[in-house]
Amino acid sequence: MRHRTFVVLVLLMALIAACGDGGGADTTTAGAAETTTGDTEAAATTAAGAATTMAPEEGGSLEGVELSLWGWSSSDAENAALNDLVAQFSEETGAMATFQPQAEYDVALQAALTSGDPPDVFYVDSLRLPDLADAGALAPVPDGAVSNPDDIFPSLREAFTYNDTWYCPPKDFSTLGLIYDPDVLEAAGVAVPTTWQELAAAAETLTTGDAAAIAAGTAQAGLSMGVEYARWGAFMFQNGAAITNEDNTAMTLDTPEAREALEYVAGLYQDGYAVKPAAVDSGWAGEAFGQGKAAMVIEGNWLPPAMEADFPDRNYAVAELPSGPVGPGTFAFTVCYGVAADAANPEASWALVDALTNEEGSLAWTEAFTVMPAREAAAAEWTTTHPDLEAFVAGADYAHRWGFVPGFGDVLGVMNPGLEGVVDGNMTLDQVIADTTAAGEGVLGG
Amino acid sequence: MTIGSGGRVEPAPGVPLAETPPIVSEAAPAAAGPLKVKRGKSIQGASRLGWLFSAPAFIGLLVFVAIPIVLTAWVSLRDWSGFVSPFATEYIGFENYNDLLFQDGVHRTDFALSIRNNFYYVLFVVPMQTTIAFVLAVVLNNKFLKKKGFFRTSYYFPSITSSIAVTLIFLFLFQTQGAINAILPGDPINWFDNANGLFHNALGVIGIEDPPVWMIENEFMGVTYWQWIAGPSVAMFAIILLVTWTSIGTFMLIFLAGLQSIPESVEEAAKVDGASTFQTFWHIIIPLMRPTIFFVVTIGLIATWQVFDQIYATNFGGPQKTTLTPAFLTYFQSFTNSEAALGAAIAMLLLVVIMFSTFLQRRFIKSTGGH
Repeated sequence: MRHRTFVVLVLLMALIAACGDGGGADTTTAGAAETTTGDTEAAATTAAGAATTMAPEEGGSLEGVELSLWGWSSSDAENAALNDLVAQFSEETGAMATFQPQAEYDVALQAALTSGDPPDVFYVDSLRLPDLADAGALAPVPDGAVSNPDDIFPSLREAFTYNDTWYCPPKDFSTLGLIYDPDVLEAAGVAVPTTWQELAAAAETLTTGDAAAIAAGTAQAGLSMGVEYARWGAFMFQNGAAITNEDNTAMTLDTPEAREALEYVAGLYQDGYAVKPAAVDSGWAGEAFGQGKAAMVIEGNWLPPAMEADFPDRNYAVAELPSGPVGPGTFAFTVCYGVAADAANPEASWALVDALTNEEGSLAWTEAFTVMPAREAAAAEWTTTHPDLEAFVAGADYAHRWGFVPGFGDVLGVMNPGLEGVVDGNMTLDQVIADTTAAGEGVLGG
Repeated sequence: MTIGSGGRVEPAPGVPLAETPPIVSEAAPAAAGPLKVKRGKSIQGASRLGWLFSAPAFIGLLVFVAIPIVLTAWVSLRDWSGFVSPFATEYIGFENYNDLLFQDGVHRTDFALSIRNNFYYVLFVVPMQTTIAFVLAVVLNNKFLKKKGFFRTSYYFPSITSSIAVTLIFLFLFQTQGAINAILPGDPINWFDNANGLFHNALGVIGIEDPPVWMIENEFMGVTYWQWIAGPSVAMFAIILLVTWTSIGTFMLIFLAGLQSIPESVEEAAKVDGASTFQTFWHIIIPLMRPTIFFVVTIGLIATWQVFDQIYATNFGGPQKTTLTPAFLTYFQSFTNSEAALGAAIAMLLLVVIMFSTFLQRRFIKSTGGH
């Protein structure tokens, strides 16, 4: 009960201690495998390292190569679909690749990297990429390893680019959209809002009581949205602002544009037209929407499956986020397949990554789900099977990446509780902007 | 008292109290007995056997306690993100500690907040759980009470239930539409989402709404004086109630064992001498129970300074960082913020805090001990 942290640390240390031998043993087996298959080419490539240009589609060259793919588990259906894709890759190439979902992903991955025995390929969230790249844990994408890279949405490639190096191709992506109940809007005679003014007016009209009544289920909020930069930031983009500049080298939170955007959003809560999910007894905005406590929410592609699982009868529709004074803006949340810098067989690893992320693979992966393929051609194809989610794809054109620099979690750790304080009425926006800017300057060194 | 191990692991009853004889003789009479007999025959053989028998425990302590502590201390002096082998990192001296204690910034503010939050948590939980458990044990020890087994089981039940499960139940109980708000008067609030300090709220009741300006303008370690004295947040108080409720069962059992070891003849003698029930309790039972109380308070202090599960399962330190604790901060810095060495430094500082508070508590119990 009390010493989980220590147990984790202890295990970590035990792993480090144990791996002096473990790593060595693995290298030998890998070497032995190469010799037995007699595949001189594979051995030569391994020796030359990841920088060599590769042609991944050479049939049979991966015969018997063991590959591990680590990720977190989102649902049984997704695990099964990914397992199928990986099995198909194994069948075509002769490699023995397996998908191994991890329960405590961050902890498991960290222990594996620390011990020098990482999985060959693993999920990397765009927010975590700078940390991993900075630590040298990731191999950059070798020339030609990813087919047709120009087809990938530029904002998503950028999300996995750190210090001008591109590290990994995106697995899929999600954007934020406005999800609303079409029946409620129609009954109230409210059109789907497309501007800030319309959003505020719609939220006002659709709100039928205070937070206590909404929690009790006797009233409804116009809008429910998490109190955090990952939501509010979209409004800053719509006003031409952001927390940092484009290169993440300086804080830009203390600007009139940023302040105006934050004041607008905070005002929605202070007037009672927007509620934070916890204030109405919901774990997140999607739950509030499912329970009928909110007519509109701002969430992403993960909302439809959650509705299907928990609130199958709930009617919903998706629109693009309203445009601000400067234009449209949203976040793109994405995860990539990273290849470990210490991968035992980089060639085979990149072949697996390419099979999962090329046009065919990314479409096969996203077809059955609500996450979107990260390639423009595939995304266009995807909308034909998901016409109701088209608004999410539209967001890709103006989406901003969700990623900063190593250690930036501290800055968001100052901003998000501060924004909560603004909504709860015990902090001022000026304080939050000043505190966050100070924290950010500490991290960015500016 | 082996304080070093106290910081890491909840010691088995016999281990930390090696120097406080009354409990040891109770907790491990079997171990003490045969050793005494052998000592007379061959001291050498006995000591060799002793080493042999204690070897598994000793090796376990070494591998899972001693070495990790040393490694944690070592790692806390290095520039380690947690993504590479710590042996391949650079030595940076006490920079992580400097960051946490002296350097103005997020790390110091977070650490100070976590110490503040946890201090109030300890301040409430330890006395509450100790007193309630003691009272329950005294009631259960009454020889006229029927169905003791039933009460013993019901009180102990929360302690053996998964802490995560209990926490989830409490989340429902304390939400706006939860059972607690239905009982209490006033506007319903979501307890776990309320960052207001208890003392702050109490002052509001007597009409003091705004703290004095000097308390907001001046700060210590990046946290204003007002924040330091505002008390635990409502959210933290809900966790305090939760933990007290779950842990009293365990401590009640320990107290019960202690009470049952007091010979009836002592109480009878007191009665013959004309002592009232209260006098017997105050002057006879409590002094005799002092070793057990010492044990319970020590274990309680160590455990409460390491609270993690309930924080993780409720709000990840929120709302507004008012349930952030050093143990959770260690986890956050190590595994989600890629600052594993900083996490190790926090763990080491927590060790110092626990050692210090255990030391204080020991002095206090000694000084109130009469003899």
